[in-house]
Amino acid sequence: MSENGVTLALRSVSKKFDEFVAVDDLSLEVRAGRIFGLIGPNGAGKTTTIRMIVNILAPDSGRIELFGELMSERLQDRIGYLPEERGLYKKMRVGEQLRYFGELKGLTAREAETRLDRWLERLKLSEWKTHKTDELSKGMQQKIQFIATVMHEPDLLILDEVFSGLDPVNAELMKDVLLELKAEHRTIIFSTHMMSQAEELCDDICLINRSRKVLEGSLREVKSSFGRRAVALRAEGGDAVLKDARLVAGVKSYGDYVEVVLAEEADAQELLRRLVEGGARVTRFEQVEPSLHDIFLQKVGESA
Amino acid sequence: MKKLLVIIRREYLGRLRTKGFVISSVLGPLIMIGFTVVPGLLITMQTSSATKVAVVDLTGKMYEGVRESILTSRDEEGDRREGGRKNEPAQPAVVKPGGEAQLQQAVQSLSAQYEVEQVATGGRPVEEIKNELNARVRRGELGVYLVLPEKILEEGRAEYYGRNVSDPITTSQLRHSLNRAVIEQRLREANIDQNRVRQLSKNIVLETTKVSEGGLERDSGGGFALAMFVGLFIYMAILMYGQVILSSVVEEKTTRVSEVLFSSVKPFHLMLGKLAGVALVAITQYALWAVAFGAFALYGVGMLSARGMDVPLPRLPFSFVLYALVFFVLGFLMYATIYLIVAAMVTTEKEASQMAMPVIFLSVVSIYLAFPVIRNPNSSFSFWVSIAPFFSPITMLVRIVTETPPFWQIALSLVVGMASVVFFVWLAARVYRVGMLMYGKSASLPEVLRWLKQS
Repeated sequence: MSENGVTLALRSVSKKFDEFVAVDDLSLEVRAGRIFGLIGPNGAGKTTTIRMIVNILAPDSGRIELFGELMSERLQDRIGYLPEERGLYKKMRVGEQLRYFGELKGLTAREAETRLDRWLERLKLSEWKTHKTDELSKGMQQKIQFIATVMHEPDLLILDEVFSGLDPVNAELMKDVLLELKAEHRTIIFSTHMMSQAEELCDDICLINRSRKVLEGSLREVKSSFGRRAVALRAEGGDAVLKDARLVAGVKSYGDYVEVVLAEEADAQELLRRLVEGGARVTRFEQVEPSLHDIFLQKVGESA
Repeated sequence: MKKLLVIIRREYLGRLRTKGFVISSVLGPLIMIGFTVVPGLLITMQTSSATKVAVVDLTGKMYEGVRESILTSRDEEGDRREGGRKNEPAQPAVVKPGGEAQLQQAVQSLSAQYEVEQVATGGRPVEEIKNELNARVRRGELGVYLVLPEKILEEGRAEYYGRNVSDPITTSQLRHSLNRAVIEQRLREANIDQNRVRQLSKNIVLETTKVSEGGLERDSGGGFALAMFVGLFIYMAILMYGQVILSSVVEEKTTRVSEVLFSSVKPFHLMLGKLAGVALVAITQYALWAVAFGAFALYGVGMLSARGMDVPLPRLPFSFVLYALVFFVLGFLMYATIYLIVAAMVTTEKEASQMAMPVIFLSVVSIYLAFPVIRNPNSSFSFWVSIAPFFSPITMLVRIVTETPPFWQIALSLVVGMASVVFFVWLAARVYRVGMLMYGKSASLPEVLRWLKQS
């Protein structure tokens, strides 16, 4: 299924609408069995990129390769796409609707029927099967849409803001399902602007802004390459130490702890030693990585 | 290909189950049957109480004639029609005279029953008699009274008094009856044999025969009504199913289902599936109506005429039923693709109905064009109009009904129609593909032209 480990590759893909450049020379690789976060501010070109991946739009230039083949209509059956804007027929019954979407992905009516029953049960919606879609709450419709995306067991899933409209219980349920799918070695492209979600789920990320790629790599690499070191500190006393500019570049206060950004060349060990020597009572001292949120803000700020 | 069938099946079966389809399937034949049966019902219906007519005869010699004339007028009309029928042994092959005569007869029977009484003058002044009669009219004891002046034979004037003088049927019938009575009286006084006069002044019956490709066909003018009926019927069906296409495409766009669908199937397949599915619904409806009407023609008419009701049923050759079906489908496809383009351009149902106005206008125009075509089916105007796309489905059918054109013209009209359907499907596919993914605002015409270049 995964030819040399790469499920999807974009090579120098560009797309223009009239004079507006939506995607500019974008290259990226999505590896099999991983969750890939496609992040970026509104209008960055995420939706256009996704539409090209699912073969709704054709790129003006560049290549899109899926499973080692050039993207084609035939490969669409191996993709599941959950668009940001939900699309369900309001007056159709849930069961019929799912069967229709399944058949459009190449399932037979019978296959679709057994799979949708299984999924409705898994997501606790079985009793809604014969109801019309517009009788369902927004969160339930969201889950129906999700079933339509996964019921044909696609090798590549593209989920655009999959958690929107879900309460915490259902969001947790959805997260479990995603991790299960990942364990089945399916590849997931996850698009969001909720950085905390991306941070929690993604193995790799790609940040695009103003139709260009800004940042790419595994979450770990991205974070460690991001040259900012900080310490979460909760202590009584030692205020003088934190004012030493040779050690500390800045202090941000978060409720019951402060985040201390270390100065260049400074060592966290040195800071701890000085604090203890200065008589401070340290109850928390933890080296922290920059959050994806911070990286996002800084990178988008830089490229603006 | 398999997916295309899945789409067609959903569009088709999904729509057959809607209330709208069930209702129009039942209502359609009921309305058609109603149009043919109601005049018959009116005829057999007994009218309300007879109109009381009082006659003030100042000449002293006219009353009997007038009474006779008023009471027999209805029977005589009937006799004349019967006579006409006898001269016309074969039923017209194509079309029986429409319901017009039938309707007249029905209307007549509603009001043609009179009771006549003579008012004794007893030498009283006319004014006094009138006052007395006026009072009776006001009390509702009397419907109408006629005053026949002494010099009625020379001057030809009589007076009509009644509560309702604007009822044209009663006044004209009484005028006719009076007229006849006065003329007969004059003839009598001039010693002329009335029977001889009646014989000599007998009306002629004009037999109309249609000369067409297939030979001679008897037609008594009902073709006009039938042509108009067929034209309007197709027009309504096209509008109805065009609207179905419009709202279903707009729904897919506003609910963003199209984005999900496009990630599974080609937009072109989706569009074709929709057109084909709805066309099949339209054909199914057409077939249901045809079967219902056929069943009515076979059994219903027999039953009704057994009960003494004459139902004027249009008789159509089978070829016409086929032509109507073919042009109906062609017309549907022409308009449906335009509706589809409109739907892909707009973002709300409301805008859609505004933008659809020109399309509706186009179909209204073809109904108006049908009038000159009916009056002159073989003019060059009729020729061009029945070849032109968008007009041909209605105008060519009207021509086929009224004066079937040579086959090459029908074929040409079909070829031009199909070519334009292919062109508009091509055009619609391009607009549809881009438009269905454009949210936010309706597209302007220049934008749509850019989309065409884009794809």
